Amino acid sequence: METTENNVTPDKPGTAPPFRPGVSAHPPEKKEWGRRVGAWLARVALALCFLAGFSLSLVPSGRATLRALSILPGLLAAAQPPWEEPVAEPITQSERTLNSPTGTIYLDIYAPATDAPPVPGSREGILLIPGVGDQRKDAQLINFSRTLASSGLVVMDLTTQTLIGNRLDAGDEEGIVQAFELLQSWPGVGANRVGLLGFSAGGPLMCLAAADARVRDKVAFVTLFGGYFDARTLLQTIGRRELTENGETQPWHPVPYPLQVLADTIAPLMPNNDGQMLVNAFGPNGRESLSPAQVAQLAPSSAAAYHLLAGDEPGLVDANLAALSPEVRALLSSLSPSQVVSQIRAPIYLLHDRSDQFVPVSESLEFAAALARLHHRYDFAEFGIFQHVEVRANSGFSQLVGDGVSLLRLASEVMQAGS
Amino acid sequence: MPVLSLVLSWALLGLLVGALALAARLKPVSWGGRGWLCLLALGLASALVGGLLGFWLLGRLFSSAAALWVAVLVLCLPRLADVLRIRRASRH
Repeated sequence: METTENNVTPDKPGTAPPFRPGVSAHPPEKKEWGRRVGAWLARVALALCFLAGFSLSLVPSGRATLRALSILPGLLAAAQPPWEEPVAEPITQSERTLNSPTGTIYLDIYAPATDAPPVPGSREGILLIPGVGDQRKDAQLINFSRTLASSGLVVMDLTTQTLIGNRLDAGDEEGIVQAFELLQSWPGVGANRVGLLGFSAGGPLMCLAAADARVRDKVAFVTLFGGYFDARTLLQTIGRRELTENGETQPWHPVPYPLQVLADTIAPLMPNNDGQMLVNAFGPNGRESLSPAQVAQLAPSSAAAYHLLAGDEPGLVDANLAALSPEVRALLSSLSPSQVVSQIRAPIYLLHDRSDQFVPVSESLEFAAALARLHHRYDFAEFGIFQHVEVRANSGFSQLVGDGVSLLRLASEVMQAGS
Repeated sequence: MPVLSLVLSWALLGLLVGALALAARLKPVSWGGRGWLCLLALGLASALVGGLLGFWLLGRLFSSAAALWVAVLVLCLPRLADVLRIRRASRH
């Protein structure tokens, strides 16, 4: 199709162009200039496409970022979006059990149905403890595991009889080490590409396993979401009903569940019937308090534990901690990552809901500070889009974007192991 | 069905990159009047090959990224060959 500009005859050198209404003085030059700019913009766009495509498919950090980008919508929406279906690997789900000194270990394995691609040759494996209680049928956990597996990872969800019984036991470390070694030898998984991911109270157990001499040099990473650093300082915060964050003290009120878990954990070490009284008081149907007459029946060490959990003596927290029996103090120590942090070799990534009412955010802050002191490789991010470890339903758009960027950064670091 | 969607997305990507190559004036002069169609077809074909290779070598998650850079690389080659040929001819 011819245009007005195309009909203009080229001007002879040295002569002024004739006046033509509606036609600019130098239309062909202007058009050519515009075309040149357009061509250069298109070349820049092509160069960017090449660089983006090359780095996202071949460079390890780019591959990790793409993988993290692919799992983020599924995590934040608590379900995999349908538009991701074409790039999602078909997956299989299987169950296994292992025997350990503390009882049966239950494993749910989500894995891609296809062989590992030639590049990089093997898959990343993630051993995950979803926390205390039986979470195996939890919709968000299943979605999380399926989303990771769809992006090419092998995910092994682990729980133990102790955890299902709402208790913590450092002896579960043995079972975790067994599961870690099983995942290392899982078809398609790279032995040096297996990391540990612990939600809530699963985090401290993962730290115990990551410090175990049998596997500590083989763990690719440790990621802890909403975990505690020291069981003693956790009990201190619960007893005071206030936490200290960046030098500022503010009120903090725990939900009943962590009190129940702590009561169930320390109850077996209490004399006489004290443990049962504590379990009943903080159990699902308990009132979280005992009458003065009931408290008077408790041994002094049991009464100290009760006051710490009930939070009715905030001014006597240190005295009550000191009055705990040596067995309970040893148990708290054995369940604390603070005791083993110097023996962990893998990088540690910490995530925490900044208004967490199960485990105070101050625990992760202390963990991060300890890692900084040790010059241990770590990263830490606080979030507002989670409620403890579950996605909050009513997050605002700006918060979703802000926290999404932090989550992408940490997820990319975690995905490096398999990229 | 998901694989078909993936193949269609590579094809679309190839056509888009081909159109960008046209805008970038990467069509060799020697290709004549129908050269634009050849360039689009080359974009389509190279993205499909890149996507297939990416699917096989890297996994399906990375196949579209592979299709993208392979298509850009292949679309630059004819222009590069044309430039080299003209330079060689001008030397002689």
